[in-house]
Amino acid sequence: MHRRNMAGLVDTLFYPIVSILCFLVLWHVGVANSRLSIVMPGPWTVITRFFQGFINPIGRHTMTVHILYSLMRVLPAYIVGSIVGIVLGILMGWYPAVNSIIRPLYELIRPIPPIAWIPISIVWFGIGEGSKWFLIFLAAFVPITLNAYAGATSVDTTLFKCSKMLGASDRQIFSTVVLPASIPNIFAGLQVGLSASWATVVAAEMIRSTEGVGWIIISSMDTNDVAQSLVGIVGIGIVGFILAILMRKLEDILCIWNKREV
Amino acid sequence: MEEKKKPQIWLSLMSVALFLSIWYLCTAVLKLVPPTTLPSPVKVLNTFITKLSSPNPDGATLIQHTLASLQVALTGYIVAILIGVPLGIMMAWNKYTDRFVRPIFDLIKPVPGVAWIPIMIVIFGVGIQSKAAVVFFSAVVPCILNAYTGVKQTKDVHLWVARTFGGTRRQMLFRIAIPTSLPYIMTGVRIALGSAWVSIVAAELLGSTRGLGFMIQQARGIYRTDIIIVGMLAIGICGAVLTAILGLIEKKVVKGKENNA
Repeated sequence: MHRRNMAGLVDTLFYPIVSILCFLVLWHVGVANSRLSIVMPGPWTVITRFFQGFINPIGRHTMTVHILYSLMRVLPAYIVGSIVGIVLGILMGWYPAVNSIIRPLYELIRPIPPIAWIPISIVWFGIGEGSKWFLIFLAAFVPITLNAYAGATSVDTTLFKCSKMLGASDRQIFSTVVLPASIPNIFAGLQVGLSASWATVVAAEMIRSTEGVGWIIISSMDTNDVAQSLVGIVGIGIVGFILAILMRKLEDILCIWNKREV
Repeated sequence: MEEKKKPQIWLSLMSVALFLSIWYLCTAVLKLVPPTTLPSPVKVLNTFITKLSSPNPDGATLIQHTLASLQVALTGYIVAILIGVPLGIMMAWNKYTDRFVRPIFDLIKPVPGVAWIPIMIVIFGVGIQSKAAVVFFSAVVPCILNAYTGVKQTKDVHLWVARTFGGTRRQMLFRIAIPTSLPYIMTGVRIALGSAWVSIVAAELLGSTRGLGFMIQQARGIYRTDIIIVGMLAIGICGAVLTAILGLIEKKVVKGKENNA
């Protein structure tokens, strides 16, 4: 038992550390000994700049404030998008009539990536928060609707027929069979929607903003400061990673009966 | 289910008709919103048709823009498949590759492709290379991830059978692991297509002289909302057509998908 724990520890800690160190050393050597050093900073510069960003402001705000700005853009729009998406998706899956009405309009919007909405959302809502909320709403709404719909239509027909045979009303079937059965799919959609929202806020901030993690990256382009760009990428990656983990934890807590195999 | 759907077609048609007529009423008849905010559907259709052959006002026709976007997106996408799928298979099949590549892959995975744009422009300039690199970064992640999951899900029993009959490791990989993981790989390739198409639009919004993303960004600058909508429709249609083509290929390549996926 003890030895297996040790082996597990080596697997989970030792190899990743060695691998990442190798990567950093390669990066360092590659940059230090070639013409790349003109445009590429070394790993050490990026790491120190990243941690300095939490103390000294980048632009007008510190890293923490930039991240909070971006999160404050994502969360309200994401929550509204999820609620609308879940309700609409389940209604479409449950009532064929609703599906026939909404489906063609939804199929019109679905293939257009949220990023392609950026120019028109700026025309409609200006360059403030409104256009970003609109974009994130779209980014969250589209995959969540699709997954909620898939969840509601993929209910095991045996369960469905059983409950009908045992005399459950339509409303009962809906709330006790269809809704719980579609929860795993809904969570898959929420997960996809969250990462899409995060990518979209970065894109939206890159097009037009004065703060936020996307701004960190895009303002570095104007000053030719590649280190700052990499600092922004690290920040975006870490926040995206944390969001994904939080979502998975939430799913573990809420759907304890249904462990998704990933 | 199919029987139930058929009589509902008129509902779908009505909903589209209703949508278009409300749009038409609000813009062309009642003039509730100025045409710079939302042009009427007739105007959009007109612009779509003229834009097919006219290079005004941004220097290229709709077809040229579309081809430019497609060229860059497909370049990055194909490189991403060629590198991502074998890498994913290798990571799943070979313990050492997994141990050393996985941590680095996990670092890169949560970064959206869009975030790479400025740094790629610094390294490769504003030409095709930087955009293809951005497309590559966003498309390679799902390719690796799904090839990895697919090979990992190979049934042990199948491998044991192969070993019992004296199959070499190479045979086990090419005859069992890869064929059974094909549905997963194809799903990854399909997701990658979506991300590739998204990231090319983003890359063109930020720095470009050609392409659909460039076109809608230029149109915003001069308040030609009709061109923006035409561009968005073109982006949507291209994405849908590419996905449909891939679906056809998938049907040909992947056998017995129903049992596996």
